[in-house]
Order: sequence, then C-alpha cells, then structure tokens
Amino acid sequence: MTLSFLFPPKKLMSVFILITVLLMGFVCSLYGQSEFSLRVNDVWNLFVSYDKSNINQQIILSLRLPRSLTAAVIGFNLGIAGLLMQGLTRNPLASPTLFAISSGAACLTALNSLTVASIGGLSNEAVAFVGALTGGGLVFLLGGGLSSNQNALRLILAGIAINGLLTSLTRAVLIIADDMAYSLLHWLSGSLSGIDWSSWSQLWPLSLLGLFIATSTCRGLNLNALGEQTAASLGVNVTWLRIRICLAVLILTSISVTVAGPIAFVGLIAPHLARSWCGSNHFMLLPAAGLSGAALVCWADLVSRNIIPPAETPVGIITALIGTPFFIYLILKGKR
Amino acid sequence: MNRYNKILAISFVLLIILSVISLSLGVKSLTLETVFNTVINGGDEDFIINQYRLPRIIISILVGIGLAVSGVLTQGIIRNPLASPDLMGISGGAGLFACSSLLIWPEVHSALLPLIAILGGFSAAFLIWLLNHFNHPSPARLALVGIAVSAFLTSCINFILVLHPVEMNSAMIWLTGSLWGRNWDYIWPLLPWLIILVPFSFYLAWSLDLSALGEETATSLGVNTERLQVLALSSAVALASVSVAVCGTIGFVGLLAPHLARLLVGPRHKLILPIAALTGALLVLSADTLSRNLAPPLEMPAGVLTAVLGAPYFIFLLYRYKGW
Repeated sequence: MTLSFLFPPKKLMSVFILITVLLMGFVCSLYGQSEFSLRVNDVWNLFVSYDKSNINQQIILSLRLPRSLTAAVIGFNLGIAGLLMQGLTRNPLASPTLFAISSGAACLTALNSLTVASIGGLSNEAVAFVGALTGGGLVFLLGGGLSSNQNALRLILAGIAINGLLTSLTRAVLIIADDMAYSLLHWLSGSLSGIDWSSWSQLWPLSLLGLFIATSTCRGLNLNALGEQTAASLGVNVTWLRIRICLAVLILTSISVTVAGPIAFVGLIAPHLARSWCGSNHFMLLPAAGLSGAALVCWADLVSRNIIPPAETPVGIITALIGTPFFIYLILKGKR
Repeated sequence: MNRYNKILAISFVLLIILSVISLSLGVKSLTLETVFNTVINGGDEDFIINQYRLPRIIISILVGIGLAVSGVLTQGIIRNPLASPDLMGISGGAGLFACSSLLIWPEVHSALLPLIAILGGFSAAFLIWLLNHFNHPSPARLALVGIAVSAFLTSCINFILVLHPVEMNSAMIWLTGSLWGRNWDYIWPLLPWLIILVPFSFYLAWSLDLSALGEETATSLGVNTERLQVLALSSAVALASVSVAVCGTIGFVGLLAPHLARLLVGPRHKLILPIAALTGALLVLSADTLSRNLAPPLEMPAGVLTAVLGAPYFIFLLYRYKGW
C-alpha cells in the first residue's frame, strides 16, 4: 500500500529511465576513448570472467572503474546537495556553486595543500568542510539570508560575488605557489583526471554519511515546502531540520570538492531534471536528483575525454558549458 | 577653487604620484632620482623604466579610463546600479573573441585585435538585448542574466585555453585580466579608439543627464532617446572591448569607478566622466602596481586584485539596492 503510494507507475518509469541512462554513461565511460582499444566485451568479461593477465581488464579495473565510480558518486552527492539547498531555501537557483560553497571549499583546500597557510594540521576533508562552511556562511550573512524579508535574487547575486572573490583568491594563491600551479588550475575547474582507488576510498564513507543525513531530512523537506510555519505547526523542528540539511550539504559538497575540485552547476541542474520527472515528493526526488547528477557527471566525463583525445578537458568546464545556459533559462523563467 | 576642481586636482595628482611610485617599484627597486633621469635621458635602466614599466603604466591608465567611461555610459543608459560592462557579459564576449582569435590565428595583426574584440563585445551585447527584448526581466534579474552570460563566456574561454594550452601568465590574462608582458606595441592599437570615444562620451553627457529624468521628459526636452541609447551603448561596448583586447577582462573597474565618481561629485555626467576616468585609471594602476610587487618576481593578475576590491563593494551595492 505505502509502496504503491511512493512509487506510482509513471514515476517508476522515469526512475527506470534515469537508471538506464546512468548505467549507459557509466559503462561507456568504462571503455570509451582510450589509447588502448577497449571494448564493451572487456567490461563484460571483467565482471563475468575476470582474467588477471588481460591488460585491457587491468586498465579498466585500476583506472577506469575507480574513475567512473567516483564520477557517479560525486554527481550523486552534488545533485542531492543542490536538491537539499533548493528545498531549504525554496529558491530554484540555490546550488553549491552559486552559494559559493564549492569555491569556499576549493579555496581553503588550495591554501592548505600549498601550505601558504596550513590550517592546524587538519586533514583535507576537514579543511574543505571548514571552507565550505565559510563560503556558504558568508553568502547567507551578506546576502541577507537570515533577515525576515530575504530576497532570492539578492542571495544569488551575493553568492556569485563571493564565488568570484573566492575564485580570485584561489587563483592568487596558485600563482604565488608557482611550481604546483598548473595541475591545481586543472583541479580548480573540476577534474577527474587523477582519480584512483585511493580517492574512491576517501570518497565513499563520507558520502554515505551525507546521504544518510540527507535521507533523514526528506519528510521535513516535504512539509517545509508548504512554508516554514506550516511545517512547524505540523510538528517539524525547523531549526533541527535546517542544521541537518546544512550539515548534509556541507559534507556532500566538501568531500566532492576534495576529490575532484568544484564541478560547477551539477547541483543546479540535477534537482530540476529530477523535479520535472518525479514531481515534488522528496522521498522520490532525493534518489532521482542523485541519479540525474550521477548520469550528468558520467556523461560529462566521457565527453571531456573525447574532445582532445590524449589530453583531458577538466570535466567542470563541460558541466559549466551546459550549466550556464540552463542557469540563464531558469532566471528568465523564474519571473513568472 | 570649488570642490569639484579640488577633487579633480587631487585625483590627478594622486595618479601622477602613483605612476612615479609604480615606475620606481618592482623586482629591482630604483630611487626616484634614477627614475626621473632615465625617463628624460635614458641610461642604464632604460630597458626597465622606458621599455617595461612605463608602457605598462600608460596602458593601465588607458584601460582604466576606457573601462570607467564605459561603465558610466552603461549605467547612465540602463539606469541600473548593478550594470557594468563586465557584469553584463560584454567584457566576456570581447575577451572570448580576442582570446580565440589569438590562439587560433597567432599572427593576427595587433591593430585588428581591438576590432575582433569589439565584434565579440557587440555579439554579447546583442545576446543580452535579445534576452531582454523577449523576456523583459526586472533590473536585478537582468543583472543576474548578464552575470550568467559572462559566466558562460568565461567557461568558453576556459575551454579554449584547455584546447590550446598556453603559458600560465598568458592564460591568466584572459581568465582574470592582467597586464603581464604588455609593452609599447599594445598602446598604439588602443589609443585611437580612446581618443575618439572618450570625447564623444563627453558630447553625450548632457543628453545622458536629461535621459536620467525619464524617457518622456528627455524626449520633450529635445533628446532623441533611441539614438542616444544606441550611440551611448555602442561607445560603451567599444570602449570596454578595446580595453579587454589589450589586457583581458579586468573585473569590477567598470562597476566601481562610476559609483565612486557619483559618490564624490553627484549625478551630473559632465562632472562624473572625468572623475570616473581618473578613478578607473587609479584603480587599474594600483592593482597592477600591487600585482607586480606583492610577491616579486612572481606576478599576480591585476584582475584578481580588482575582484578582491570589487566583490565586497558589489555586495554593499546589493545591500543598498531597493528595486527588487
């Protein structure tokens, strides 16, 4: 009974399509575009009859698989983070990129990794978390997110300004620490090029934690969509809900940035895709937004490797090229 | 001497002082005496002073003037305090065209570059105009559209730079704006445009004052508002574009300078224009001087420093802005 309420057939279809798209992107990025001639067969054989001496399978196992998995999980994280932010602020333009959460995390990580200002011997994840908190906090404070008559556009514009500021600071830091600059410049626009199994093991535990917290906020978000006062009168502890959402967003975004740099606009696009397919129930939206984000990053990664074959385009540039027109569309649509 | 002349004189003197300081500071710091001697007579330091620092200073002053005047014209016509050539995506368009023409066709003649940049600036402006024409967004929303368009163009630049990897400093010119490696060769393509367009904007100043009273009042006072809009916006686009062609998209100067000028001398455009031009020149020059001297011999892009200054000011503007 409850299950049929949660998964009406039409929505089930869209989730099914989403998963198919994701899987296709995933598999394609496992074998597509390589110096070696990898084929679908190799992927198939890797799972069915693993052969240790087969070079193609080894490539897929040690290079492609961690990369594709990481791409998918990062997309999942960013999609969910965007969804939570849009649900919390009820602002269709809210996303980790536009609220300077990604660039805050990136800025502090860059500072830390170049030891221009080593921050108390914290791990990279913790530094990124603090950076994400700083970036997002600044936007909320300066954009008037705390005042009663908060304005959606002002918040976004403040977010963009702070985003610009933090990106500039990061660039300045990169130039001062000249010797490592070029690889970091790549990382700064979001790149999946150096991913291996160690990044994967760094990524998944915190992502799981973030996902767990995010799932716990679904009911609250559904009620919050009716307005904060209504939600409060229906028994939602709004403050606690907000804290959990912020925590989830910060964890999900900062771990993604630590691994692959700020991949722009995924957190903005994925929730909108999900909403157009799955309606407004957050129990459905959460997996749908995550899957859309994952599919998006997988496909973008595939494209980024195909543009100038031996070299790699940072995947963040591809998502930014897709995301900014979509952003413009959202701004213009939002008027009505 | 009235207040206006005082402000004008003070900013002019400041600009001169700053130029002299900028001439003497650098990886190799020189005494003021050497600087004066070298500028007049040449000598041992001729290369550092006359071939390296002096052209950069002149270019930063020219670019500052260009961006500031462009900002005054844009804000005067659009009457949106958040409008400026770089936030409207015009600098982005010019930067994209200039950068891609340089990377795809490296032997492009330097006199042609401003023209290509202007083409890019006009394309971006046309795009914004189209979006505005069919959708009529509110002023704040229009600002957001402009920013989104310029974000898109910046990611295009980013993309092109990945396709054609270049040296870090030249990449920075197009990503954030920088005066790295600019010498006398870059002054000549820039100068004629400024010599024509800056006086022309003074000629428009009076009509801009009237158009601030509202379109109908301006028309009844004899201003051809449509013609004014086209002329002023075209010169704004051209000024911003030629500046961008030389040193990339130095952000926020076109936003800051007109606001500062208006704060100092009130709303009349004839008074605003010179002050804004001087302020813009001061901004770019001090950003460039700092960028050379913060961590020598490394260089920061000047655009990073103007962004550090400009972004907080932008947020301050958001605070004061009431027309949501």
